[in-house]
Amino acid sequence: MKGSFLNPSPGALAFGVLVFTSIVLVAIGPPTARKPPAIATASPASAPSQVAGPGSALVSVSVDLPDDIVPFPDGPHAAVINANCTSCHSATMALSQPRLSRDQWKAIVEKMRATYKAPVPASAVPDILDYLNAMSGKLPVSGSSPTPSDRSGGTG
Amino acid sequence: MGSGALLAAPALGQGLVDLALPGGPSSRPTTSSFPEKGEMILQRARPPLLETPMEVFDQGVFTPNDRFFVRWHWADIPTSIDVQGYRIAVRGHVNRPLAIPLAELLRMPRVELAAVNQCSGNSRGLFQPCVAGAQWRHGAMGNAKWVGVRLRHVLDLAGVKPGAIAVRFGALDQPVVPTGPDFTKSISLDHARDGEVMIAFEMNGEQMPLLNGFPVRLIVPGWYSTYWVKMLNDIEVLDRPDDGYWMAKAYKIPDTPHANVAPGTKDFPSVPINRMVPRSWITGWSDEQTFSYAPELPVGGIAMGGDAGVARVEISGDLGRTWHEASLGSDEGRYSFRRFDMTLRVPHAGRYTLLSRCTNTNGLTQPMTPNWNPGGFMRGCVEASRVRLT
Repeated sequence: MKGSFLNPSPGALAFGVLVFTSIVLVAIGPPTARKPPAIATASPASAPSQVAGPGSALVSVSVDLPDDIVPFPDGPHAAVINANCTSCHSATMALSQPRLSRDQWKAIVEKMRATYKAPVPASAVPDILDYLNAMSGKLPVSGSSPTPSDRSGGTG
Repeated sequence: MGSGALLAAPALGQGLVDLALPGGPSSRPTTSSFPEKGEMILQRARPPLLETPMEVFDQGVFTPNDRFFVRWHWADIPTSIDVQGYRIAVRGHVNRPLAIPLAELLRMPRVELAAVNQCSGNSRGLFQPCVAGAQWRHGAMGNAKWVGVRLRHVLDLAGVKPGAIAVRFGALDQPVVPTGPDFTKSISLDHARDGEVMIAFEMNGEQMPLLNGFPVRLIVPGWYSTYWVKMLNDIEVLDRPDDGYWMAKAYKIPDTPHANVAPGTKDFPSVPINRMVPRSWITGWSDEQTFSYAPELPVGGIAMGGDAGVARVEISGDLGRTWHEASLGSDEGRYSFRRFDMTLRVPHAGRYTLLSRCTNTNGLTQPMTPNWNPGGFMRGCVEASRVRLT
């Protein structure tokens, strides 16, 4: 009895797992919230928890994402764009864009406000557009490309 | 270019790489600062956009996990995942809503599949006229061996009710602005039940990096990465079309061959982006790299068939007038990258532009002409690769 308790047969283990799984499923029941809670704070002192299946295991993970501290470079209205645009994304998203017209930038800023609900007041938009337009204005006008597109006449 | 200087000195940067983009800032920092990641091209730190350097694709058809590209829409990304508390909800138009613990998922019948995961906007930085968006070169893609559970199996456990038409996938990442559109994607019920779409928990033999979706992500072989939902924790069976922002408004392409319209066109019938197209890249050198002249030039790289296998890859040294068939490396499955190699005879020293062209097993061949659409999606044309022989 003692031996079998300490060293259950694979079949007994599998049965136990099945029962346990059923209990877990029943106990949890259907999720009522849109997002089931899935994160628990792991104790830093203990080894990371894990779950295992045949030939596979998953170990809990905790990481630090690097902070991005690169602001929009100095220039007229830099303070406005830094205050309004960097809580959702790095400045580099805008800084790496190709040369865009003021109207194209306006469409992007409006998309951020209307679609992504960025809390950017309408009063800040002209200053933001001034900054982005000046930034784009420093970029060279798009040149020709060495790709096959040149030889095939463009649009295709 | 002076424009590159704007990006020249970020705190995260350890080096600089020139992506040779035809318009706009072309220089990007490289960084090894992201968790579980080696050296990557930093497109954006927050939310992370990390591009795989092209030389990684020359080292093998499977992309190492620590070099695999990263792309997130919202910056609210959980940085701690407790595998014991994690649940995958299966709900909506089903008979038995479930909350599946990972320990149970690991005991379900498994499937393994090699598949390329490619961003819809991969190579967007090469679009001309330029379009706004992440300015990737070719490294917003990777290939891995995925192990997981068929989505069909999980749907069958929950019992899909008659009248269901689609399945929507949600994840742990959340909008930074609470009223912003949560990132969710959906596919048709038939697609969800095709036996290939998978809930993966293993990537190249290991658990996946958190930034690639730990602990589980959806694998949609042959389809663009936008459907490969990371940190998947919600599977909702729908009895109506998904009218959410990310399906109804975002990631739409022109309903035309190659998703192509004349530049500047705004009004066209559109559909959600879907199947990938064949592509190929010569990976043996970086653009304009110089080698000593020898009469035989080894030319190799990787190809993908998109939603089908790679049937053949051809190389041209004369801008497409003549093509020479390359030999193909081992077949890891129709959704995988496939290696190609050949030796090209070059008559003399000089500058050469080489082209590679893939044809997939459906008979679709990469066109010479780039496509254009306002989203910068689905580039698939023949790419040029320049080399100098001195």
